[in-house]
Amino acid sequence: MGFFDRLFAKKKKEEECCECADHKEEKKAPAKAAPVKAAPAAAAPVAAAAVSAKKEYVNPMDAFPLLPGAPPGGKIKMAIYWAAGCGGCDVSMLDTDERILTVGDMADIVMWPIATDGKEHDVAILGDKEITVSIINGAVRNTENEHMVKLLRQKSLLVVSYGTCACFGGSPALANLVPGGKDEILDYVYKQVPSMKAFQDMQSAPVLPQTSVMTEDGEVTLPLLYDTVKSLDQVIDIDYSIPGCPPTQESIRQLVAAVADFVYNGVALPPKGTMIGVSSKTLCEECPRKKESRRITKIVEPHEIDVDPELCLMDQGILCLGPATIGGCDAKCTRAAQPCRGCYGPTSIVSEMGASVFTAVASLFPVLDKDPICGEDDIIEIMSSVKDPLGYFYAFTMSKALIRRSVVEKKGGQ
Amino acid sequence: MSDFEPKIIAFCCNWCSYAGADGAGVARLQMPTNFRIIRTMCSARVDPEHALRALAKGADGVIILGCHPADCHYIGGNYRARRRIALLRMVLEQYGFDPKRLKLEWVSASEGEKFQNTITSFVNTIKELGPTPLKEVG
Repeated sequence: MGFFDRLFAKKKKEEECCECADHKEEKKAPAKAAPVKAAPAAAAPVAAAAVSAKKEYVNPMDAFPLLPGAPPGGKIKMAIYWAAGCGGCDVSMLDTDERILTVGDMADIVMWPIATDGKEHDVAILGDKEITVSIINGAVRNTENEHMVKLLRQKSLLVVSYGTCACFGGSPALANLVPGGKDEILDYVYKQVPSMKAFQDMQSAPVLPQTSVMTEDGEVTLPLLYDTVKSLDQVIDIDYSIPGCPPTQESIRQLVAAVADFVYNGVALPPKGTMIGVSSKTLCEECPRKKESRRITKIVEPHEIDVDPELCLMDQGILCLGPATIGGCDAKCTRAAQPCRGCYGPTSIVSEMGASVFTAVASLFPVLDKDPICGEDDIIEIMSSVKDPLGYFYAFTMSKALIRRSVVEKKGGQ
Repeated sequence: MSDFEPKIIAFCCNWCSYAGADGAGVARLQMPTNFRIIRTMCSARVDPEHALRALAKGADGVIILGCHPADCHYIGGNYRARRRIALLRMVLEQYGFDPKRLKLEWVSASEGEKFQNTITSFVNTIKELGPTPLKEVG
């Protein structure tokens, strides 16, 4: 029983104790699942009928054998690089469980900043396309990121854009919405925040990171930050992409299986441009929640209400990006009563994910009786219940939006 | 930049506003020629993506024209449209655009004169605002 199973089981038990008339209606269905803890075997079929917690967990890795030692043609070379990201993608690779230990039998890892000692030099001395596969996570945000991804592209046969930041810019790309770009960001982070303000007050002049400083031992450099965060495919040519924040076990399994098949058995690789681990439809197709009214009258956060475990989150007033997000993650968030935030990116036929979501969301606000006579201000008031639409609907895809960064109007026009 | 001639994309619904624009033409009403009309079946057919794409490609302003409330050929299309446009306006404001660069107006099939006035005033607004700030960003 996972954390959320226990959480829901507990909640239902509490509801059962409540005898007030208001709760009698909603009690009917969920109450059945309450005795799960006491007799798990007997309650199993009932539990399977309800939504969120009842799905039995199957580890996709179980179907995937350990890698069988060194490949016939000798070990391949592999590189994993961490660009502008949080490092969660690197950690997610450990989701391969004990198989991560046998990856070392298949490949020499020439670079993996989080785990091995390989440096830029170790990659630079290799011949072109000598690395079989480079897995790059994170967006491109500074000169170092750009240099390394271009170097890895030159040295690699395959480049995999791994994770949402690499595919669509991810959270780092929200920095594009700071009008002043890198100067404003550096100014805020190194001068304005309270902890730094105290430090800066003690200095004779403001101390900011410099790209190059001469010291007694020679020049010391730091990468130059860019104003606009780019996704990986805007900088280099990529072969495959795996979205997700972070990618799921199933996606990783598919990638490792494809590479292992190629290395051990000479099976052809998937065609270039393949998105690994995604379905062809939206998340709503995978989400087990029941869609009923499909009308939003009030927007709430999941922690503000008692989330119904079976009803669509949109029906409950929680903004969910499922209708515009490509499926493949098995609706992990919505099963756990959290709205989809869109980390898998848009479906293949949509180019502008944010616009596609808020088109859907706006249509869910019901037409009111006063609609024929009310003015634009009333409509703005209704829609203002959506807080921070740009940040919410483009949370993961800013680098891929039609307008990729904030603009500054010249005041006074001409 | 007194010679600034804005580029404006106008989305007109097939049933009211496009006919209204047609009426304005037939009546030979004079108006600025800075706009290009794209005919859509309904104002609700205008996806916010269309307006964003127009701006991304360098349009200085986007105007969406539809049937008056309670007059939509598809009963409720214009109600949907104005909810979307309200949200889009919030998004544009967050990007840093002046929200006046996006306008939604109701023009019926018989309102050639209103079409003329709407376009003229919108062109003047955009001329006051100046060219799209996006060009400088590239």
